[in-house]
Amino acid sequence: MSTARSWTDELADLRALVAFRLAGQRSSRRRRLRWLVPGLITVSVLLVGMLAGLDADPDRTDQLRRLFPVGCLAFLGLVVVSAVASGGGRELLPRDGASAYPVSPVVDHLGALLLAPLSVAWLFQAWTLLGVVSYLVAPAAVLPAVVVVLAWLCAATAAGQVAGWAAEAVRRTRHGKAWLRGALAVGILAVTGLALAGPGVDLGNPSGLRFLTDAARHPFGATWLVTVVGLLLATVALVLLGALPARSAARRLPRDEARLETGNHPARPHPTSDFAALHRIDRASVLRSLPLRRGLITLGISPGLIALAADLDWDTVILLPGLAASGGALLFGVNAWCLDARGALWRESLPVSAGLAFTVRATVLLELLLAASAVSVLLGSLRAGVPTLSQGLALACIWVVAALMVVSASMRWSLRKPFAVDLRSARATPAPPGVMVGYSGRLALATTVVSLFFSGLAVLPWPFSIGFALPLLLVSLLRLRRARRGWEDPFARSRVVVTVAA
Amino acid sequence: MESVTAHLPPAVVVRDLHVRFGTVEAVNGVDLEAQAGQATALLGRNGAGKSTTMRVLAGVVPATSGLVIVAGQDVREDPTEVKRRTGYCPDVGGLVPRATPWEHLQLSARLRRMDDWEDRARLLLERFELGSVAHRVTSGFSHGMGRRMSVLLAAFHQPDVLLLDEPFDGVDPLGVEATMEVISDARARGASVLVSTHLRELAMQVCGAALVLRAGEPVANLEAAQLVGEDGAGVYRALLD
Repeated sequence: MSTARSWTDELADLRALVAFRLAGQRSSRRRRLRWLVPGLITVSVLLVGMLAGLDADPDRTDQLRRLFPVGCLAFLGLVVVSAVASGGGRELLPRDGASAYPVSPVVDHLGALLLAPLSVAWLFQAWTLLGVVSYLVAPAAVLPAVVVVLAWLCAATAAGQVAGWAAEAVRRTRHGKAWLRGALAVGILAVTGLALAGPGVDLGNPSGLRFLTDAARHPFGATWLVTVVGLLLATVALVLLGALPARSAARRLPRDEARLETGNHPARPHPTSDFAALHRIDRASVLRSLPLRRGLITLGISPGLIALAADLDWDTVILLPGLAASGGALLFGVNAWCLDARGALWRESLPVSAGLAFTVRATVLLELLLAASAVSVLLGSLRAGVPTLSQGLALACIWVVAALMVVSASMRWSLRKPFAVDLRSARATPAPPGVMVGYSGRLALATTVVSLFFSGLAVLPWPFSIGFALPLLLVSLLRLRRARRGWEDPFARSRVVVTVAA
Repeated sequence: MESVTAHLPPAVVVRDLHVRFGTVEAVNGVDLEAQAGQATALLGRNGAGKSTTMRVLAGVVPATSGLVIVAGQDVREDPTEVKRRTGYCPDVGGLVPRATPWEHLQLSARLRRMDDWEDRARLLLERFELGSVAHRVTSGFSHGMGRRMSVLLAAFHQPDVLLLDEPFDGVDPLGVEATMEVISDARARGASVLVSTHLRELAMQVCGAALVLRAGEPVANLEAAQLVGEDGAGVYRALLD
C-alpha cells in the first residue's frame, strides 16, 4: 500500500482540521467566527474606498511614496520575525490535542499559513499598506494597485513561513540555538552600528522594493502584470518550499523545550513573605516558558530595532511603549491564570487570600510589560537625541499608563474568559486564534489612541502630560480593583480554576 | 483496644451537599461523615460527583447549597483556615508546570507557616522516589511521577484532613506502597483521610468505610468488609448500575 501523500490529501486534512477546530467552539463563538473573515474584508474595502476618495496633498503624497517600500519591507520583517519567534507559526490544533491524529508537517505548515493573518500586527500593517496605496494612486487605478499589495502580502507571508520553519529546523540541530543566537546578535549589532554610524545612512530606503510602487502606479501595464504574476508564482513556490523545512523540523526533537523541561533549578533561599513566595513561582512560570520568554525578547527588541533603523523622532518613539505592552499581554496576560495550568487546583487549595494571589499575578504581568517596553524605548531612542523635558515626561507617562491599562484589561478578560492552554510549545497562544484577534485589536486600538494623545502632549508644557496621566492611571486602578473583587468571588474563581486546570 | 479518636466529633461533616454547574447537577444531596483517625473511600463511576465533592471539601469549589464542616470549620465561612488544615491531591495534574518540586514545597511551607520542614520534605521526596528530580520543573514529569508528587504535597504539612483524589491512578507498585504508608501515617496521628478512586480493591486495603456515589447522588454507605473480595465486587457492581 502506498503511503505517499499528495497535496490534495494535505488540503483535505487541513479542511478537516479547520472544521474540527470550529466544531469545538461554543455556538455563540462559532457564530462570531463566521463573521470574522467577512468582517475583516469589509473593513479593508471600506478603508480602501474611503482613502481612494481623498484629495491627495502633494507633500504628503511624496512622503508616502517614499515610505511605501519601507512599509512593504517592514511587513516582510514582521512576518519573518513572528514566524521565527513562534517556532514556525501558530498551531491549528494544540500539540497535545493533535498528538492522537496523524497530522503531517505539511498540514501543520498550511495551518500556520492560514493563521498567520489572524494577528493584529499583520492586519494593522496590511491595512496600512492598502490604505497608503489607495491614497497614492488615481481613483481609477485603486483596484489594480490593491491587487499588487495583496499579492505582496501573500508572497511575504509565505516567505515568512519558510523563514520560520527554516529557523526552527536549524534551532533543533545540535548547535542550532547557538547559531541562531549568533545570527540575532550580529543582526542587532549590524542595525545598531549602521544606525549609529551617522545621519548619512538611511536604513529606511529599500530601493529594491520600488518595483512595487511602480507597479501600483501603472495599472495593467507590463510592470504591473509582471509584478502581480511574479508575486503570485513566488507565493505558490514559497508555500511548496515551506513544506521542506517544516518536514525537516518535524523530524527533529524540539531541543529548547526539552532543555527547559529537564533543566535543574537549584533551591533558592526561603521567601520572606507570602507575596515573595507567590511572586517567585509566578515569575518563574513566565520566564521558564519557551513561548513567553521568546515572545518577551522579540517584543522588547523588534520594535526598538525598527525604530532605530527608521531613525524615528521622539514623537514616534512615544508610540513604542503602548505597542510593546499590548504585544506583551497577548503572550499570556489575556488569560493570566493559565500560567498555573493543571496546578491551578493545587494553588487554589493553598491557604492564602485570593486577593493577594491576584495582586501578585497582576504585578508580575506589569513588571514584564514595563521591562519589554523599556528595552524597546531604549533601542528606539538611540538615534532620537536628547528629549526635551516635555517629551521625556510624556514618554514616562505613557510607559506607565499603557502598561497599567493593558494589565487592567488583561486581568478582567482573564476572569471573564479563561481557557485551558499548555504554554510548553513555542507555538502556543493563550487563547484560540479568533479570540486572540479580538483581544489584540482592542488592545492595539486603546494603546495606540492613548499613545497618539501623549505624542501630542509632548509638544505642550510638561504639566499637561502629568495632568492627563493621573486620571488615566486612576481609571485603570479602579478597573483593576473591580477585577480583583471579581476574582475574590469564590464562584467566579472556581469557574476559572476548573477551566484552566482541565 | 478502643481508638483514642472514637469519641471525637467527626473531622468531616457534609449535609445535603448540592453543587450545580449551570444546568448540570454535579452533586445532588450528598451526606457524609468521616472520623478522625479513619480512612473513608468515595467510590463511583466517572461523573458520579466524587471529584467535585473532594473539591468542595478542599475549599476549591464552593457548594451551591448544603453544610460542609471540615476540621471543625465551616468551609463557606472560613475557607482559608480549612485550606490550612487540609491537604488536597487533585484528580488532574495538581502541579504548577514550570515550578520544581522543591519550589512547590517551599510555597506550601511558607503559606502554612511551617518551620524546620526541610528534613521532612527530603524524607518524603526519597520515600516517593522523587529526590533526584527535586529541582527539575514538573512539566517534564511522567503521569505517575506527577501523581506521587501530588500525594506528597497533600501529606507534607501533616494536615488534619487528607483528601486524595485518584492517588493510585497510573502509579507504579512502589508509588502505591508509598501512598499507602502516607495514609497509614496520617491515620496513626489522628488525621481523617478521604480517598476517591476507581480502584475498589486498593481503596479497601486502607479504608474502613466507603460512600458510593452514582450520578451525583449517594447510593450506599458501607463498611469496607462489605466491599472486599469477589462478593464485594458483586455488591459494588450492583450499586453502579
